[in-house]
Amino acid sequence: MNPLEHKKTILVVEDERPLVQAIQTKLEKNNFIVVTARTVDQAIDYLENIKKIDAIWLDHYLPGEKTGLDFVAYLKNPKGAWSTIPIFIVSNTASSTNVRSYLRLGVSKYCIKADHRLDQIVEDVKTFLLHPEK
Amino acid sequence: MTSTAYKLKVLAKEKENTRRKLVITARKLAATAKKLAVIAREKESARRKLVVTAKKLKSLYETLEKKVFDRTKDLEQIRAKSDAILTSIGDGLVVVDKAGKISYINKSFEEMLGWKAKEIIGKSMVQIVPREDLHGVKVSFKERILTQVLSGQKFVADLTNPFYYIRKDKSRFPTSSIVAPVNLEGKIVGAVEVFRDITKEKEIDKAKTEFVSLASHQLRTPLSTVSWYSEMLLAGDAGRVTPSQKKYLEEIYTGNQRMVDLVNTLLDVSRIELGTFIVEKKPTDIVKLVQSVINEQKPQINEKKIRFTSSCVNKLPLIKADPKLLRMVIQNLLSNAVKYTPDCGKIGLQLSLHKDRKSVYIQISDTGYGIPKNQQNKIFTKLFRADNVIGKDTEGTGLGLYIAKSIVEQAGGELWFESNENKGSTFHVRLPLYQSKKKNGYQRSFLTSL
Repeated sequence: MNPLEHKKTILVVEDERPLVQAIQTKLEKNNFIVVTARTVDQAIDYLENIKKIDAIWLDHYLPGEKTGLDFVAYLKNPKGAWSTIPIFIVSNTASSTNVRSYLRLGVSKYCIKADHRLDQIVEDVKTFLLHPEK
Repeated sequence: MTSTAYKLKVLAKEKENTRRKLVITARKLAATAKKLAVIAREKESARRKLVVTAKKLKSLYETLEKKVFDRTKDLEQIRAKSDAILTSIGDGLVVVDKAGKISYINKSFEEMLGWKAKEIIGKSMVQIVPREDLHGVKVSFKERILTQVLSGQKFVADLTNPFYYIRKDKSRFPTSSIVAPVNLEGKIVGAVEVFRDITKEKEIDKAKTEFVSLASHQLRTPLSTVSWYSEMLLAGDAGRVTPSQKKYLEEIYTGNQRMVDLVNTLLDVSRIELGTFIVEKKPTDIVKLVQSVINEQKPQINEKKIRFTSSCVNKLPLIKADPKLLRMVIQNLLSNAVKYTPDCGKIGLQLSLHKDRKSVYIQISDTGYGIPKNQQNKIFTKLFRADNVIGKDTEGTGLGLYIAKSIVEQAGGELWFESNENKGSTFHVRLPLYQSKKKNGYQRSFLTSL
């Protein structure tokens, strides 16, 4: 059996270069296939072209006019093809209104970068993908 | 002849008698005249004296009249000056009588509140100018500081606790005020209130808080980079590290973590001040939560060989609370106790349901350095640190108690303490299980019963 078949593809939307590199390295070490995007438009582009994205790792503030919130609103459109993809918000911005909006839109998890170890966030993502009911 | 001679003789004798009588009368008259002359002289002297006295009196009267005139002029000047001063004070000023009726207002009062003196003199200040707290809730008559001052409270400054005054046109502005009683012969006969529009200060304060918030968010990104990369190096993601490299990396990681904590604390402060604290209530086992905070502090407690005792009631109802905020309060109080108690000291923690079964009571006592008496009133002030601990602990920020008190008060609870320098401190927290009805529209209470 091709081990790649078991690998999940995760789209990381984050603009801070050093953070992208760290996230990518850690995720790849944990058997993920990683696609990275710096802006919401770029991320939508990847989604349309790659098709098989199993999860999305998303920052709130991104370059360009659209924030992570706009992206989630777009993805969660029930008529769209991506409404069931689990989304993990990993951001340093945790204003109450933002967190509430994200959770209301139905993201799977919200965590603050500075307060969590990278391996812990990756572990959480893995656990969620394996046992989404948890 | 003889008879004629005889008659003449008799006549002569009679004349002689009459002459003699006349002489006597003349003598008497002369004596009377003399007496009269004396009386006349005396009278003249009295008259002269009276003239002198009258003159003196007139001069005295004139002097007095001048003095009265001068004094009146002085008084008028003083009064005009006081009036001018009171009128032109930049702060609003109102004087009320014992019944709280307005007896004087200055120009700034008129300008700030839109009322003219003639419209409101003699009316109740509390009714004419309503007051709202920061959440738009009207302050009741009994709670008005003016009412409290008139009923005997010495002096009230409302500087740290701003509120809104409502203008004649129903618009409002943030104010801070000082009220002092007017005492006459030991009795309160009225009160003076001086108040200030603090719109500008509030704007500046908000801008400052927003700046701290923004700066802290910006700081978090590079902190995350340092944190994640040192974590990956330690995990061996970039190859094996030698034991001494590991030690150095751990120092980097720990130092960075401290910075993350500091930034988080600053963010908490700015959230409190901007009123954007996220309150997420969920059923919380407070006993478990307290236990977990204790366990977290155990390494430090053991390291300082502190004798720690705790008494927690086993059966406390599950409460709907924000565990994160609740944890923050207990964490702050317990870590302070540990931080400010010397080696081999004692710390006690007590958790119980209040007698009224409407609130939870937490008490944390220590045998530490204590808070000097003269600084106890500042201990909840943001960034304040007591003199006696600044040198002993360099990591404190002076924000912990400020945050704890803000959280507890926003939940409608109370946080207070007693402390003796070099003997120790005891902090008390009372948190209501139910949200107070009074503060309707105020959704900040993070503790409600399930």
